[in-house]
Amino acid sequence: MKLKLSLLKEPKHQELVSCVGWTTAEELYSCSDDHQIVKWNLLTGETSQIVKLPDDIYPIDLHWFPKSLGIKKQTQAESFVLTSSDGKFHLISKLGRVEKSVEAHCGAILAGRWNYEGTALVTVGEDGQIKIWSKTGMLRSTLAQQGTPVYSVAWGPDSEKVLYTAGKQLIIKPLQPNAKVLQWKAHDGIILKVDWNAVNDLILSAAEDCKYKVWDSYGRPLYNSQLHEHPITSVAWAPDGELFAVGSFHTLRLCDKTGWSYALEKPNTGSIFNIAWSIDGTQIAGACGNGHVVFAHVVEQRWEWKNFQVTLTKRRTMQVRNVLNDAVDLLEFRDRVIKASLNYAHLVVSTSLQCYVFSTKNWNTPLIFDLKEGTVSLILQAERHFLLVDGSGIYLYSYEGRFISSPKFPGMRTDILNAQTVSLSNDTIAIKDKADEKDTGPRQFTKSQFCYEELVTRADISQEPQTCVILIPNLPKVGQEGRKNEILEIALDQKGLTNDRKIAFIDKNRDLYITSVKRFGKEEQIIKLGTMVHTLAWSDTCNILCGLQDTRFTVWYYPNTVYVDKDILSKTLYERDASEFSKNPHIVSFVGNQVTVRRADGSLVHISISPYPAILHEYVSSSKWEDAVRLCRFVKEQTLWACLAAMSVANRDMATAEIAYAAIGEIDKVQYINSIKNLPSKESKMAHMLMFSGNIQEAEIVLLQAGLVYQAIQININLYNWERALELAVKYKTHVDTVLAYRQKFLETFGKQETNKRYLQYAEGLQIDWEKIKAKIEMEMTKERERSSANQSSKGIGIKH
Amino acid sequence: MAKDVLREAGLHFDELNKLRVLDPEVTQQTTELKEECKDFVDKIGQFQKIVGGLIGLVDQLAKEAENEKMKAIGARNLLKSIAKQREAQQQQLQALIAEKKMQLERYRVEYEALCKVEAEQNEFIDQFIFQK
Repeated sequence: MKLKLSLLKEPKHQELVSCVGWTTAEELYSCSDDHQIVKWNLLTGETSQIVKLPDDIYPIDLHWFPKSLGIKKQTQAESFVLTSSDGKFHLISKLGRVEKSVEAHCGAILAGRWNYEGTALVTVGEDGQIKIWSKTGMLRSTLAQQGTPVYSVAWGPDSEKVLYTAGKQLIIKPLQPNAKVLQWKAHDGIILKVDWNAVNDLILSAAEDCKYKVWDSYGRPLYNSQLHEHPITSVAWAPDGELFAVGSFHTLRLCDKTGWSYALEKPNTGSIFNIAWSIDGTQIAGACGNGHVVFAHVVEQRWEWKNFQVTLTKRRTMQVRNVLNDAVDLLEFRDRVIKASLNYAHLVVSTSLQCYVFSTKNWNTPLIFDLKEGTVSLILQAERHFLLVDGSGIYLYSYEGRFISSPKFPGMRTDILNAQTVSLSNDTIAIKDKADEKDTGPRQFTKSQFCYEELVTRADISQEPQTCVILIPNLPKVGQEGRKNEILEIALDQKGLTNDRKIAFIDKNRDLYITSVKRFGKEEQIIKLGTMVHTLAWSDTCNILCGLQDTRFTVWYYPNTVYVDKDILSKTLYERDASEFSKNPHIVSFVGNQVTVRRADGSLVHISISPYPAILHEYVSSSKWEDAVRLCRFVKEQTLWACLAAMSVANRDMATAEIAYAAIGEIDKVQYINSIKNLPSKESKMAHMLMFSGNIQEAEIVLLQAGLVYQAIQININLYNWERALELAVKYKTHVDTVLAYRQKFLETFGKQETNKRYLQYAEGLQIDWEKIKAKIEMEMTKERERSSANQSSKGIGIKH
Repeated sequence: MAKDVLREAGLHFDELNKLRVLDPEVTQQTTELKEECKDFVDKIGQFQKIVGGLIGLVDQLAKEAENEKMKAIGARNLLKSIAKQREAQQQQLQALIAEKKMQLERYRVEYEALCKVEAEQNEFIDQFIFQK
């Protein structure tokens, strides 16, 4: 990625430019110490003076009133706040009319910021005060007061916290009184600028110690830049939170959100006092100390997928390179490219007005459709369709350009969605529920919080019948009623049946969980897969999950194992050392069996995992069990056998399961499977399979539904689940004596006395006759056998006919 | 006798026997003085002219010298600032080089990772062929 600079020969301002602000993607306002406010139109290249302020107003900071959310018509900001050195702030309209001037601070006001909703303004000044004002400029409160000037201020993502500087310290103060204040020493010099991004919740700080740093919202350092020659005078997050810009004397730098720098430019600008990103995040403007305003366009972004490499060479031109045959295609667009995504053999490009869909088979004839609103902030792709997110909604399109749906739910805020909080698969969209965070009282969610019915009421199911939208609320903290563990990252698996759709997610403690998306009345539990997982990704071709777990790179070849046979999960894993990735790596993509990881220093590292599990997945999904077994025999790997074991159990293929379990040396399980095979009826086989996977309740239900009451009682006896066994026996008025006999035998073996009241009650006056019981059991067995054989013969007849 | 009387009266006769108030000697001396004075004035005038020319010349010289001096100082300053500019430029280039180096390092890491993948895949292919 690079910055393409444009700087006029002669500065438009006579004095230093103190602040800049964008209204639209193409229009910028700049203020200078020569008291002028100048409007720059980038489409026509014209500049015009909006207003000349009185000689005693030296502007210091400017911030446009935020676009109100959800109102589509209002595409640009209408007014802005300008703070000045005489301690006043001015509300100025787009046309330059000073609508209100408010005496706010003693000494200069160093910064003024609207919150995200536009309901409050915070100003900070040389007098060390932080004041909150209403939309109309009425003083609401003085949030804090300190002995040193406050140089910069920023709102938290939910507009409920304010971050400000105090010399070398950073302070996060919630608006609520008495709430805990977070304060830490951030730099060795005076901090000049801070910024807080709403999308990724990260904090940037720039200081006179010639460093810029990235922090998370708990004040933990994520990145610490090297020493620069001059103090860093400005920092600014791109709206989507993927990039940020850093300004210093004669220096403009473009950095990734993890801190490493994409590009460095040394324009002749003097110090850059203020940086502003355009609304669509494609360019930045810098306020220069020598009266210039520098514009920089972000170009040379690169997308890679399999053998294709796409580069944005100019604002409106993309170059596609097929690495296999070095064929180069040039794609021209009518407007500026804003976002693009390359995956699943399709390139989706959004410009300011249109969306282009290219197939990798044919670069010449894209599919083009118009966009409702220009600035797409996120493109997500699945195999069959893709998702566009802009400021006002989420739109699902097929690759043929057909609009599928636009899911909505109350409290939706699309401007803060990113690839970590939205996930798309062929039939499901998962969105992290942001509204949930604000809830202070315990909301009545069922234990799992993923209760499907609940979600249906909260989210419109889209028109497409097989597409469902789920909102992912935060996890309830164990043992702490009403408190939730924030979920940081979610990911849906991409392949398989809709009913088996799984979602994996990481919570704030960096624990990795997996759960089913669809539920059928029953409560499906959320199962923990791993701890200390920094990042995760599903493969695009099969349901293999990979993640970076502490210092190890882990691949869950068959995550579904946790639902089938949790014991062998560790055998289905592939692990390798990931210390080469250093701190905080991030998985960029998982295509086929190729994993791409970006290290904290920005370098990409490719890892290829064994191709066999993917082949195995394919065989199993088409029920080619013999081929699967042959593959495992050929590869001779424990992990593969373990995967096959879990898969065959999940798909109820006993013969394969027996072979697979034998291969991984789980003799007890082989034995159990053998015993299942010898069971007389289909239902009890089914039930024991469920038992095998640990679903005892379901097994019981299956048996009871098939009328095999004795078998249901027997499994409870075998599990020493005495209460339930007796309950069933009493309920169905059969085998009460059997249960009692077994109970007595059990007590005798352990030399204990009966203490259970119900057993005492039923044991009264009952003589246990083992002969009789055994005969009864025998009878049940023959009954079952007869029944199943009758069933089979009737089936056989059915087929013959 | 008469002469003495006249002298007492302040009257004299010159050689042409004309009556004079001033003593002819004095007269002669006066005339001589006058002549000499004139000469002197002339000479002084000449001298002044010469000196004036000289001063003008010297002034001009001084001016030129001053000019040259300023030029020299300017040049010297320029030289100094160029050194500084170079330094700044060098610093900028150094920064850019550092940036490129970092990029190179990133590419190197990526290249190494890819080499590793290639080796792994070759090994896999060999193994595969061998097993068949």
